[in-house]
Amino acid sequence: MASSGGELGGVFDHHVQRAVCDTRAKYREGRRPRAVRVYTINLESRYLLIQGVPAVGAMKELVERFALYGAIEQYNPLDEYPAEDFTEVYLIKFMNLQSARTAKRKMDEQSFFGGLLHVCYAPEFETVEETRKKLQERKVYIARTTKNKDHYMTKKKLVTELKDTKDFRQDFHSRTSGPCAATLNTSTGNSDPCLPYSCELPLCYFSSKCACSSGEHMGWASDSSRDGRNRAQTVEHCMHNDSSQKIQMKPFKNSLACPDAQKATTSSEAVDRFMPRTTQLQERKRRREDDRKVGTFLGTSTSSNEVMIGPLLPHIPKVDMHDDSLNTTANLIRNKLQEVISSVPKPLEDELEDVRTSRSLKQRRRI
Amino acid sequence: MAQKPKVDPHVGRLGYLQALVTEFQETESQDAKEQVLANLANFAYDPSNYPYLRQLQVLDLFLDSLSEENETLVEFAIGGLCNLCPDRANKEHILQTGGVPLIINCLSSPNEETVLSAVTTIMYLSSPGSGSPPELTTMPVVQCMLRFSLSANTRLRNLAQIFLEDFCSPSQVAEARTWQAHSALGIPLPRTEAPQ
Repeated sequence: MASSGGELGGVFDHHVQRAVCDTRAKYREGRRPRAVRVYTINLESRYLLIQGVPAVGAMKELVERFALYGAIEQYNPLDEYPAEDFTEVYLIKFMNLQSARTAKRKMDEQSFFGGLLHVCYAPEFETVEETRKKLQERKVYIARTTKNKDHYMTKKKLVTELKDTKDFRQDFHSRTSGPCAATLNTSTGNSDPCLPYSCELPLCYFSSKCACSSGEHMGWASDSSRDGRNRAQTVEHCMHNDSSQKIQMKPFKNSLACPDAQKATTSSEAVDRFMPRTTQLQERKRRREDDRKVGTFLGTSTSSNEVMIGPLLPHIPKVDMHDDSLNTTANLIRNKLQEVISSVPKPLEDELEDVRTSRSLKQRRRI
Repeated sequence: MAQKPKVDPHVGRLGYLQALVTEFQETESQDAKEQVLANLANFAYDPSNYPYLRQLQVLDLFLDSLSEENETLVEFAIGGLCNLCPDRANKEHILQTGGVPLIINCLSSPNEETVLSAVTTIMYLSSPGSGSPPELTTMPVVQCMLRFSLSANTRLRNLAQIFLEDFCSPSQVAEARTWQAHSALGIPLPRTEAPQ
């Protein structure tokens, strides 16, 4: 086992306990005060260095305490390691990295026989093979995790065209539509149990929209055949306020999109990058108003089950009121009228209405 | 993060990440920038965050931060990249947006963690054997790794050895050895001791 290196009195930089950061902005303060540090796979290791162990012959108890987090492969005191008076330094090697990570997180700064332990990783004790294996395992772990998500997202691709239109539509409802879509996707993408009808759209299909991005309008329809990621970029342009591209078809699930978005506006306003925070309240309020206004018409979506593939022809509004939300509203009214004429039965509408109302209520209460 | 009201964990997550990015772009405080970048880099460790990070273009933010003068920002940025580059989509993005030269530059940093993260990132961006982007195994890079493999710093030595064994062909290594005998050289070894 390699020695801890360094001259007498020298310690590795990554063994030094850093000062806790006390200047964090409130919104990003964690539960425990922490130092400013980045943990990479290089830094993490199965080897943990434990400093500050009171020299009271408690090695067995120490090891037992750490063994709660996972099997330990070996352990020993490091007599040459510089230590404060009356303290000892130990090295513990776990069988797997995850145990070591947990042990470090839990045992750092814990009291032990009257002293405060300082636990840190000690990757310099690794052999070449152990390092190689560590890097390899990380790669495999990421591949496995993303493969599961990819598989999930590929399944959704089949209904993406269907969902896209409704999402665009709801995006038109509010100027900062991005947040709604994004937050919709985040909630659905993770099968949130509290959403009765999750729209199940992968997050990556929508990028965050900026209110001040150009009004350039690209045919969203042409995106429907593209890969989700590409679409995310082009979607950004489509979001802007060109009412000439109103979407016709709306499966009933569409109506869920709006409530989700409303529900999430507290965090969604943050998605709008360039909006100054002082106007967030006004923005939120306005958006809520728009959504509620529009929301009453959402339940009237046609229940057309045709799968929309390919570009949808643009729909020219009959009256241009020179305001996007008004145009949207007008079109929705028009659509509802058309629908009433064709009288498609919608048994689930009421339920959706309730859900939406309750969601709106919830939203209001939060503010 | 405990303060932020959450409707559902992942909705809150995206909003939080966006708030971080916004703060990073807007703040003038170096401390705040460091804290935020560290926070983002740590988020980059968890694969479930990758879609959000891509959406918020955090990868580009990391790559841009590699050119910062503040060494700490560079350290955190390359750490973030090191955390998220094993993912295939992230890897492609980095390669396509020309991030490799910036990462290779980090090999010259005096900061130990920066160099270690850079070496690891280069390894993750490469594929074992032949098949990695050629810019990752150019002569200067291989030479640099050769020097690192002789370093007294165990972590650096281990990583460099793995790179030379797994990601370079024997001929490349041999060629680098002969070159090194002649060249004046100079990628300095990073500091390893804590400042006294």
